[in-house]
Amino acid sequence: MGRTKDAEPVVRLRNIHKSFGANHVLKGIDLTVGQGQHVVIFGPSGSGKSTLLRTTNLLEAPDSGSVWFDGKEYGPGIEGEDLPRGKARLLREEIGMVFQQFNLFPHITALDNVALALRRVRKVKRDEAEYKAATYLDRVGLLDKLGAYPSQLSGGQQQRVAIARSLVMEPRVMLFDEPTSALDPELVGEVLAVMRDLAESGMTMVVVTHEMGFAREAGDLNIFMDEGVVVETGGRELYDGAREPRTRAFLRAIL
Amino acid sequence: MNSFLVIPVLAQARFRPEFIWDNRDIFLGGVRLTLFIAIIAFSLATAMGLAVALLRMSKSRIVGPIMGAYINVFRAIPLLVFVLFVYYGIAIQFDLAISAIQAGILALTLQYSAWLGEIFRSGIQAVSDGQRQAALSVGMSRPQAFFRVVLPQATRIVIPPMGNMFIGMIKDSSLVYIIGVPELLRVSNLLANTTFRYFEVYLATVISYLILTTAVYFGVKYLEKRYALVDVLTSRVRSPFARRRSAQLLKLQEAVTTSRGSESTSGRDSA
Repeated sequence: MGRTKDAEPVVRLRNIHKSFGANHVLKGIDLTVGQGQHVVIFGPSGSGKSTLLRTTNLLEAPDSGSVWFDGKEYGPGIEGEDLPRGKARLLREEIGMVFQQFNLFPHITALDNVALALRRVRKVKRDEAEYKAATYLDRVGLLDKLGAYPSQLSGGQQQRVAIARSLVMEPRVMLFDEPTSALDPELVGEVLAVMRDLAESGMTMVVVTHEMGFAREAGDLNIFMDEGVVVETGGRELYDGAREPRTRAFLRAIL
Repeated sequence: MNSFLVIPVLAQARFRPEFIWDNRDIFLGGVRLTLFIAIIAFSLATAMGLAVALLRMSKSRIVGPIMGAYINVFRAIPLLVFVLFVYYGIAIQFDLAISAIQAGILALTLQYSAWLGEIFRSGIQAVSDGQRQAALSVGMSRPQAFFRVVLPQATRIVIPPMGNMFIGMIKDSSLVYIIGVPELLRVSNLLANTTFRYFEVYLATVISYLILTTAVYFGVKYLEKRYALVDVLTSRVRSPFARRRSAQLLKLQEAVTTSRGSESTSGRDSA
């Protein structure tokens, strides 16, 4: 799975700034994600990791800077440039997102959770959409839970349904926002297994996580963020040979 | 002689239950109009209430406060006063082509849209923002996210309070008797005043309202059950819908399992 720098870029963030009121959360972030690359973002809470992910699929609009994806630009852009503009909704169709709190739709079944966007966004016929949704539920090992509602599933199962819900749209990139942080320890493994599978299949992934085992193993590009800036970036060697004292201190604290 | 003892008020006139039966057409006519008014006004108020709730939550600094004022005004006026105002104060005074029934429905609709607007708003706000975000994240548009994901969840939340409001509407619709609309209370008054059988008449009126509101109560119960979240594959619910759906799902599972067997040489484990 070791794809590195020379891969064709899929997503490029340049000089992203974002504030919530007086709180300056992102202070000029640059990040380029290559095709098939697995980016791991880690750092203390409040460092802006989640906001960065949410800016990538435009759930948060950046205050300034450029989000570039697949030949189109989003966000305010960079002064002096005039790149072709894209629609946020279309970008989100191509970039999947998995949330810390799963955010499954509680009023419909697991099958309908996965089939909903196929039917309503892609306008796929019901039978076809349900068949495809079922194959994706099978892929995350939940074919027997087709008819279950989210409240009848464990956290790990819910998160796997949520992954299937994103995957079924066949996105070019998958974003994971602390996908295992809300899970009981014994349920973390099943979700990581699905993510490993996905990484092996060549999916481009950006993962915010505290699971350092997964990070070491899957992370081609590892990014340590603190207080709204990228402190240090590196390959696999980052976890054992960080140069920045802040990175070293953080890794020491959690490993 | 027995009923004479039980109901001393009727000392002058023995309780005659058959009087109610003999005048059933009058009561039924009143019930029909009461139901008509309540259903129409409630439907209109529901649509308006949803609009009120959405506008009230608008980020605009003008629209939100205006809707806030709308809600406060209509909640503050006693309904009886408002019915009189809309009919005599506006429709008659300005010679508008509005019948008493229409004026009554208008007054009920406006007032209930304020109450329902607040119920909808609380229902919508009770749905976590993560739901909207998740819907957007799979490529849904904002209206789709609202109508397909947020609103259905808000609807389940508001079913019980909506039931209460509908019961309230049935009862409040009696206030339009004052502008001469021949609904249940009005026809009862007329009958009582001409026959002097006050006890029989108002007993029938009370029972009629009781039957109407009890029917709504059971209707709401049914809705809550109908929208309960049940896995048709594992539950023992035997509704025709559940049976059909579970057959579909079983077939789907089988189809996927079969295709898995034929295509995969890579052999994907289920986790």
